[in-house]
Parts: sequence; structure tokens; C-alpha cells
Amino acid sequence: MIGFRLSAERPPDPRRINDVVVQRLDHVYEVDPELMRDHIQQHDFPAWDTRRIVDSRWEHLAWMHAHWADSVVSGEELISTEE
Amino acid sequence: MTSTLVTDPVIDELVAICGPDNVFADRSSRVNRARVPAPFPVHRWAEHVPDVVVLPTTAEQVSEVVKLANRHRIPVVPRAGGTGLTDGAVPLRHGIVVDVKLMNKILEIDLDDRTVTVQPGINMLKLNEELQQYGVIYPDDPASYPCSLVGGRIGTSGWSLIGGRYGHTRDLVISFQIVLPTGELIWVGDGGGRKVRKSSTGYQLKHLFMGHQGTLGIVTEAVLELVPRPEAEFAAFFSYPDYETAWRSTGALAKSGLATLAGVVLFDEWKLDYLRRDDEAYIPQPDDVRCVVATAMYGTTDEVRPGAKRLMRIGKDTGGAYLGDEISQGDWASRHDRYATPLHGRLRDGQVVPMSWHCEDASINWSQLPQVRREWHEIVARLGDNFRIFDDWGMFAYTNAAFKPWGDYLTEIDVGIWEQELDDAAWDAWVTAKRDIAAVAIAHGGSISACHGACRAGEVDLVPEELGGGWDVMKKVKRVLDPLNIMNPGKYLLDEAYE
Amino acid sequence: MSSTERTDGDNGTDGFVAEWRNGAYNCYSSGHKFCREVCPVMQVTRNEVHTPTAFHANVVAMEKGLLDIADVARDYVHCTGCGACELRCPNTLFTGDFYRFRTRTVQLVKAARALAVDQGIHQPGWQRWVEETSRQKSEPVLGAEVPVSQEHVRDWAAGLDLPIGGETILFCDCEGAFHRTSVPRAAAKLLQRAGVEFGLMREQWCCGGPAAEMGYVDRAREFAKHNVDDWRAVGARRIIVFDPHDYISFTEDYPSYFGDEYDFEIVLFVELLAELIRDGRLPLTHPVERTVTYHDACRLNKRKGIHAAPREVLRAIPGLTFKDVDHVTQWSYCSGAGGGLPIERPDLTAEISRRRVERAAALDVDTLVSACVWSERPLTEQRGALEIMDLLEIVALAAGLEDER
Repeated sequence: MIGFRLSAERPPDPRRINDVVVQRLDHVYEVDPELMRDHIQQHDFPAWDTRRIVDSRWEHLAWMHAHWADSVVSGEELISTEE
Repeated sequence: MTSTLVTDPVIDELVAICGPDNVFADRSSRVNRARVPAPFPVHRWAEHVPDVVVLPTTAEQVSEVVKLANRHRIPVVPRAGGTGLTDGAVPLRHGIVVDVKLMNKILEIDLDDRTVTVQPGINMLKLNEELQQYGVIYPDDPASYPCSLVGGRIGTSGWSLIGGRYGHTRDLVISFQIVLPTGELIWVGDGGGRKVRKSSTGYQLKHLFMGHQGTLGIVTEAVLELVPRPEAEFAAFFSYPDYETAWRSTGALAKSGLATLAGVVLFDEWKLDYLRRDDEAYIPQPDDVRCVVATAMYGTTDEVRPGAKRLMRIGKDTGGAYLGDEISQGDWASRHDRYATPLHGRLRDGQVVPMSWHCEDASINWSQLPQVRREWHEIVARLGDNFRIFDDWGMFAYTNAAFKPWGDYLTEIDVGIWEQELDDAAWDAWVTAKRDIAAVAIAHGGSISACHGACRAGEVDLVPEELGGGWDVMKKVKRVLDPLNIMNPGKYLLDEAYE
Repeated sequence: MSSTERTDGDNGTDGFVAEWRNGAYNCYSSGHKFCREVCPVMQVTRNEVHTPTAFHANVVAMEKGLLDIADVARDYVHCTGCGACELRCPNTLFTGDFYRFRTRTVQLVKAARALAVDQGIHQPGWQRWVEETSRQKSEPVLGAEVPVSQEHVRDWAAGLDLPIGGETILFCDCEGAFHRTSVPRAAAKLLQRAGVEFGLMREQWCCGGPAAEMGYVDRAREFAKHNVDDWRAVGARRIIVFDPHDYISFTEDYPSYFGDEYDFEIVLFVELLAELIRDGRLPLTHPVERTVTYHDACRLNKRKGIHAAPREVLRAIPGLTFKDVDHVTQWSYCSGAGGGLPIERPDLTAEISRRRVERAAALDVDTLVSACVWSERPLTEQRGALEIMDLLEIVALAAGLEDER
């Protein structure tokens, strides 16, 4: 589906990763909501916004590599050619 | 909120110099130019509000403003990006803020002699976006790379993340035009030729007019170095089970002699704990990842690839485990614009609060790092015991010297402060802690600040001790060049020059 | 909800500060200012009071009693609502998803403007604009001389034989309906060609987004309520929009007004278009011999992360030479057309557009393609030797629905 539906933007309930971190969407860590109870409260956060930020972060980092150099040498590749 | 020096006739004169659209005396313009990200007593904001703000467009206008200030004995505070981690751009005595952001033009790109001439209000990332088409880059790369400005980099004598390879601001700025505290315009460099990098003519004035935090003038134009745009980048992050091993490995990597090595960064255990709070790269790391060392290389592919192999071997042989491409490449790319974010802040009960980031930096020799680290954490722990608004965010040690990055380290301890709850008692405790942190640096043969400047409250008290006889020379220079104490008065204890 | 409803006493300032102080401190405490060089207004004025940093610091200063909304109301005019600042902010980009707490400068600017309006501080151009919109039900996009009206809101569709109502509605924004009518015409023809059934509203009003952006919150809600009632009345379930500003209104403002009962599917035209082309339902058979670059619409690229679909569409057009500038670089690009800026600071909009066109011209292209109908007027005014086309206009050429002029 390409359209926006409000009801589809509610992320699933969190599952616990460790004492202070939970996860709602795959590969996206979130703070344990209990830790944002007393002094600062979380925003209403639709799923599209989480995805937008995560994608933008990686796109920004890729942009930064390209900004500084023509190519990036991979350490994993160097290790694999070494042995 | 204001002093009484800036009268309507003075504002009329400023308008005559800078034009009616570039002089601002309204409350918003002034209140919004009172602070920088350095520790700021937010509860005493009004004490730092300037009387009037000007946005000049030419060196001549800057010169005329400074001459006017001398005639009327009004303090002048220069402001570029306002991103400094010391408080050079914070007015201590109100007065005129000279904001250079409108002076942001590229004046000349010289691909023959490899220079670019710019006005001081240009940002490095924006400059490099323009330079990219010519295959060159201006590699001055602070954590504020996407927003700090060339003028501020000179005024603070900044440090660059990749300075081990390309040098820091002082190495990358070839010459510049500066308005002296009495209003005269001069050029300083190595000797007189504006594009000459090395000269033995006369005194070496370029260094004198860098890092003075606005106490010796205002830069109005600069000639900058152009280096070939790197063909290849390599970043490798290694993990270690303990600090001792990571520290020794850091030393071995930095002493490798690899010419493309741009920097080595040591993260201590506190820093790892802090990163595990919210950083996706560190949350999944196993418990035995206690310390991390980051390395990066830049240059031609022919140099970087074999150099990288050698670097990987040194990391492994000294006890490091490669953390993988994703964290190495991803975390490294984020370090070109790595400022802490406030929600890192935690109270001791674990609750999240928005804390401001205060980075105490010093230059420390490699041999002294473990002891300094121990003493600094103790100071911050005591602070946190007494006030819940302070949080220890851990330490980094970055290779510090240009081109030969093995001897000393930009050593920083990051402290979160919950500014919403800041009051006089907490501020005084903080200033005391800063003085204690600086004292540790001096006691171990280091320097109070590697890159921010040492004029912040607390640490500034120890500048005379650190500089010794040099402090007397510094005061004489200030008094000769700025006889009426116009440029950024009160900063760096330099009022003592007039006693 | 207008800010007068949020609080009692003190003309709403206390409520405003209470609502925004944590967000403001989140900016103030970090002081990164990574927003500054991507902000289209700041790139032109270089004036620190126009920065997103100042927009947040003002809240802290209001809390400390240093500033009042009257001191800063005019500063808050200087925002196109492009969203570059809040995306580029590390508090969004690096930790916003983790804490479910991100920088919301665009919302803050709207709230500050609403606070000003509540205290009787009006920007004359905006006040007139909203009054005219309320009177005519569409924005006065044709100036004072040529009134817009309900009578003419469907004139753009003359001869296309479009039904009223149905499950799927094509919503046409004010600029398209009255000024750049070639865009909605292209949209309708493309849907017809691809066999998508759709109708128009019985009575379409402005989406209300501009009134909300200018601080006239109650007016904005009136428009929204009318439009939603109209959709319900004809049994609509799916709304297609081509204007990114409408897309923001329908996916962010309307849900905040109506809550869970707001159950419409909102479809962005360019995403539907990419799907229709991909699925072979809309053959692009006519070569378009142009060299183009694409202007990322701010509200798609920065505020919604939508940048792939328009590029996919452009790459599917035969004959076209596409010289792309990546969407991250374009976080700092803008036409200056948003957030009411062209009404209050037309000089700034013109300069922002001039710079955008200059960047396109440097690529040696003949056409700058945009996917935002609002951007196309200021860009056209600065176009020089370039032609400014909407993405739908150029796709209509490729589909053989229009001829090259």
C-alpha cells in the first residue's frame, strides 16, 4: 500500500532488549518509555516518522563519506584478502 | 540588561558605517547573541546581552566600527558562528557585537598555487561543496564542521578531527587580514606574501593573532590551504576489554608513522557506558567491549589500502578486535558533526532529562593519560554526588599534533548539565570543578585547553600559572595593541594588563 | 487547538512556554546550530534571529522574562516550513527515533505565530490572505484584482468530463485550481489514461494548511472540517493529492484535529504515478527531448522522506536526460515558496528561488522539474533561460497526453 492511513501509523508495542532499551520496529532501538516519565515526555510518534529519521540518518552518513572522499575502503574486505 | 555607553548618536554612527539594514538594537537581536554552546549561566543570561549588533559586509566597515568604539570607549565582541566551546563570543561587558556572518563570500580560488581566499563568515562544509568540482578540499574538520565559520576557527585556533594528516586551523590558514583593536587593517602570515606557507622574515605574527578569543582583533579575510580531495577514506574501530590495553594500542597506532593516518581516538569505559544508553552502534555490543579505539586514514587509494592493512595488523597485534565495517564507517562519518545531544542526560535514578553538553578539553601527553583520566572522573563524580544536575559522559583522547600525531592528546571529559535546574550554588560548584580539572592538566605537564580556549570561568584563573613568564608578555602585548581595552574586555583575565 | 484554549491568563504565553520548554531546552542545551547552513532563509539573511536556534532560544528567554512574543513575532515570519532544520538537527537525525522525541521547529514556528495572533499581533499580509481565504473558500492566489471563488474552483477541469464524488477523490490545491491549471489537468488525464476511477469534491475548500501556518488555527480547522464532511458526504475513502502542502495537511494536521475517526487513505500522486508506470498501467511512449534536473519539494524530501518516487518517474521517461543532484544535498535547497514567506517577505522568496535556479543552470540543463506546484511560480519568476515544469506536466508529455509547446 502506498497511501497514508492513520491507523497504520501506530507502531507495535515495545519488546524489551535490555534494562534500558526496547524495540518496536525491526532494527530500531528505543529508550525504555519508563525513563521518560518524570521530567520529559515522549512525542506522539507515527511510524512513518521513525522510518524517515532512520533512513535519513544512513543517507546522511553515506553523503558524508562521499563528501570527504571518492571511495571508502572496507576493513572487512582487507581482513578477508589477508587470510 | 544594557550598559549606558551605546547612545542613540552612537547607533546613528553605526548606521552611517554599516547601513540601516545591518544595525540591530532590538531586544531579540541582542538576546540571541549573548551565548555560545560553552557553559553558560542561563540564570544570568541578562548580564551578557550586548547593547547593539552590527552585521558589516566589508573589512572597512569593521575597521570603522572598531575606531568608533575606541572613540567612545565601547566594548567590541566579535562573533562568527557562535559555536565555540569556550566563551570567546560571549559579551562580558555588553557593548557592540560585530557579527561577521554576512561576510561569507569566496573571493578567489587559485588552483595554481593551491589557495582559496574567503571572507570570515563562510562555513567549511559550504566551502567544500563549492570546491568539490575542482578536486580540492579545505580539510578543517571540527565537530561543528557543518556550521562553524572560518573567522571563529581563527579566533579560537581550532583543532581538526583529521589534523594528524592535514593539520589544524593554524596550519591550514596561510594568511589573513585582521582589524587591530585600534581599527587599523593589517595582513599577517608567515612573512608578507599572502600565499606563502613558510617564511623567516620578521616575527611570526600569524600565531599571535590566532586563538586570542576576540581580544586582539577581528579577522576580515583569509587565505586558506587547498589539498587534493582524498581518493580513499578508511576508518577502523577496535574494541578492548580494558583501558590499559586500549591506551597502549592507541600509542602504538599513533606511532605507526603511516603518513595517511588522520587521527586516533580513544574512548574510555565511561564513554562506552554512555554510548550504550542510546547509540545503535553500541547498544548491541557484548559486555567485554569496554573501550574503543577509532582510527581513520585519507589519501590516494595507492597509499590508503596498504596503509590500512598495516593499521589493521597493529590494532590486532596490540589487543584490539575489529568492530566491523558498519560501526567503523557509520560512526566515523558521524564524527564530522558530532555534538552531544541533550537527551543523553540521565539522573542517577535513570530518568531522562535534557542536559547541555560541556566538554572540558586539555592537551595531555600520552604517558599521562591514565592518571589524568582517573583524577578527572573523581572530580566529576564528586560534583554529581552533591548536585543531581551533573552527569559524567565519559572521556575521549584524540591525537593532537599536526602531521606527527604521537606525542600528545586532545583529552576531553564530557559533562552533562541539566540547565533547567541550574542555580548559583550549582554554577559555583561547576566553576570550581573546572578549575580543578585544569589544575590536573597543568600538574601533569599538560595545557588547560587543546582547542577550545582557556578563558572560561574557573579554568581561566590558572592561565597565569600555566604560562608563567609568558603571561606577562601576553599582558604587555594586549596593552600595546589595545591601549583602551576595547576588544572583548574582561576576557582571559586581561584586565590585569591595565592594572 | 489554538493557544488561547491551552491556557488561562497571561494571553497564553505561560501555556506556550510550558508546552515548548523541553523542546526548546533540547535545542538550547545543545547549541549545535547544524540547522543554520541548511536553512533557506538564513542562507540569504545570515541573521541569527532567523535561525531555528533562535526560534527555540526565544522560548527559554520568554521563560526567563527576557523576551515577549511581541519582541519576536516578526522573527518567526522568517521560515518557509521546509523542515531542513529539524531533520538536520542531531536531536532528530541521531536520536529522534530512539527517544521518540525530536526537534519540531516547524510546529514551534506555527505555535509562536498562533500565540502572536492570539495576542492581537498580526502580520498584515497574512491577515488579509486568511480573511480572503475565509471569504472565498480558496486562497487569493490571483491577487486582489482577480477574485477566486467557489463558482470557478473546478474551471481547471473544463472539458475533462470528471464526475463528482465516489470512493476516490482527486483534491486540487488552490494554486493549481486557479493559477497553474496545467498541473491538475495533467493529473486528471494521467489518472484517466491509467484507468483509475476518481471524482472531484462537491464543494472543495482550501485545505487550511496556510491558515494554520500563519497562526490562524481556528480558521484552519473550519476548512478542514468542511473538507472532511464533504468527503464523508460522497462516501470517499481515498484522497489523491498532488500538492505536497496538501499532503502535509492531510497526513499531519487533519489527524491532529480529528483523531482516530480520521480514517481516509491519503495517496500522494507521485507515489501512485511511480506505481502505475512500474506496473505498466501508464505507458510512457513519447520521447521528451529535454535535459532536466529535479527540484526536491521540501515537504516531500525533508518532511516526509519522499525522494525516490519522483526520480523513478523521471528515469522512466524516454528521451529525457536527467542530471540529478542527490536529495541529501537538496536538504539545503528550497524555492522559498512555503510557510507564507512569499506573502510577507517576497524579496526573500525571490532571492531563495534565484539561488535555486542558479544551481540548476550550473548543471547545463534546459528544464528544472519540480513536484510542488507552489514552488513553480517563484521559480518561474527567476527562471532565466530555464523552463520550470511540474513533474506531472512532463509525464503528460511522455504519455502523449499533451504536446510540446
